[in-house]
Amino acid sequence: MTEMMIETRNLTKKYRGTRAVDALNLAIPRGEIYGFLGPNGAGKTTTIRMLLGLIKPDSGVVQIFGQDLRKDRLRILRRVGSLVEYPSYYGHLNAIENLETSRRILNVPKSRIDEVLHTVGLTKDAKRHVKGYSLGMKQRLGIASALLGSPELLILDEPTNGLDPSGILEIRELIKRMPQEQGITVLVSSHLLSEVEQMASSVGIVNQGRMIFQDTIPNLQRKAGSEIHIALSDAETAMITARELGCFPRLDQGKLVFKGIDNDQIARLVTALVDARHSIYRVEERRKSLEDLFLTMTGGGSSDAASADDTIASGAPRAAGLRREAAQ
Amino acid sequence: MIGKLLSTDLLKMRRTGIWWVVLIGPVGLAAMQALNFGLRYDYLVRGRYAADPWSGLLNETAMFVPIAVYLAMTLLMAMIANIENKQNSWKQMLALPVRRSQVFASKFLCCLIQLLAACALLSVSTAAVGLALNFSGPIPYADLLTFGVYPMLASLPMLGFTLWLTLTFRNQAIPISLGIAASLMSVFGASMPEVVPLAWPALVVSGQRALTFMGLGVGLFAVLYLLGSAHFSRKDVA
Repeated sequence: MTEMMIETRNLTKKYRGTRAVDALNLAIPRGEIYGFLGPNGAGKTTTIRMLLGLIKPDSGVVQIFGQDLRKDRLRILRRVGSLVEYPSYYGHLNAIENLETSRRILNVPKSRIDEVLHTVGLTKDAKRHVKGYSLGMKQRLGIASALLGSPELLILDEPTNGLDPSGILEIRELIKRMPQEQGITVLVSSHLLSEVEQMASSVGIVNQGRMIFQDTIPNLQRKAGSEIHIALSDAETAMITARELGCFPRLDQGKLVFKGIDNDQIARLVTALVDARHSIYRVEERRKSLEDLFLTMTGGGSSDAASADDTIASGAPRAAGLRREAAQ
Repeated sequence: MIGKLLSTDLLKMRRTGIWWVVLIGPVGLAAMQALNFGLRYDYLVRGRYAADPWSGLLNETAMFVPIAVYLAMTLLMAMIANIENKQNSWKQMLALPVRRSQVFASKFLCCLIQLLAACALLSVSTAAVGLALNFSGPIPYADLLTFGVYPMLASLPMLGFTLWLTLTFRNQAIPISLGIAASLMSVFGASMPEVVPLAWPALVVSGQRALTFMGLGVGLFAVLYLLGSAHFSRKDVA
């Protein structure tokens, strides 16, 4: 059995009667980059705050490194680096002084400050007051201070929030290097699936305080599945040709849509269709995007987050989401 | 651990201007008396306090000590708390391996160190005023040393309260308003009933059972401190 870095059991936190986090079971094995995913207000930050002992759960247990957080908080936190939501910093101090405030408490050698500044690429700006930093630099400083104590576990809450594309890319590359170079397990939360998909090895999706999916990224992608769309001159007669070959497409706006069809079948199908004098305009693979899957699972969310590439696939969950909103 | 926290807190105060408050308060008070005694030299030094100009100077200055101490507590604690409140650094600070009670203690010690430094500065600068004005008679070292600290000890309940308010709530308008109100009311301290803590520093200044009111001040402070610390240690950090 792999060693669990973080394990929660029935973690629950109520705010004025509503359950912000509801019986959440997290399981994060060593060496993973775990994407903690969910729409805004799903309870991600609340969960992370409970993992860090910043807020107390109403019920449930948090175990980090196999130790109970309530009993061994200080010993656990010594081995954890964290960045919670937007960066916290002391604007009137420069980067070195900012890190020095944590260094004195963590009791690590002064050389660590230069090392982490180098890791996040802030060496050049180390002597500037942090209040003059861009958001991306502040965020990198936050990661630097999370890395300062050479943690075994890194907990990053929305580390790319509010960054521009190049900033996002930088942070992403930084996070991806962690398990490889330093053997750090990373928990990174986000409300953007595409982002998690690009850096995480496993994922937990949370909605309205409940864990609705927890597995590896490949398994999530498998769940999404793909379809082959063939656009041609006369779809209805082509359907008959396809059936004769043992394929059973559905008809969609003059296109044939095949599910679970392999390369061989496609090749034979296209040959047969050409022989039957159909004009084939387009053969394309369409993945049901993870966004759609995500929206289906989280029951809508904001409609502008839906990808617009597949009207049928995303139409249904979006309509379901709207209905739910109307019902509230 | 508390030592590390304290050194961290002192580091965080760089460039915040906190130490200017510590400097300007007592020096300003002494400068005011220098003006008072300098301009009215004949009346005050040669006339009214001719017998003992040193205690004249101390008494005139001491009248302003309670109001200054209350203002200093309010201002210093607001500035200390603001370091963490400004960018909501509490979440980062408290996710470090630190005991919350010690974080609370460290913030208190910062403020106490600054208040004691201010008292020491008040002693030194008041002595300087007396010497500069060529006061006759022996320098009352003991009184000079205590005329700031004693009322400060009697004012400590205010610090206990302000410590909790500033460190617990992000909105500093409430503790600052309360602090200013308290310092203004403390001017009338001597005419308030003895049970009102706001009266205690003024009662210490007037010299009536000074020890009792200092003891009461420290005692009530201890209670407020423990309550504040207990709450701070348990509360959820937003």
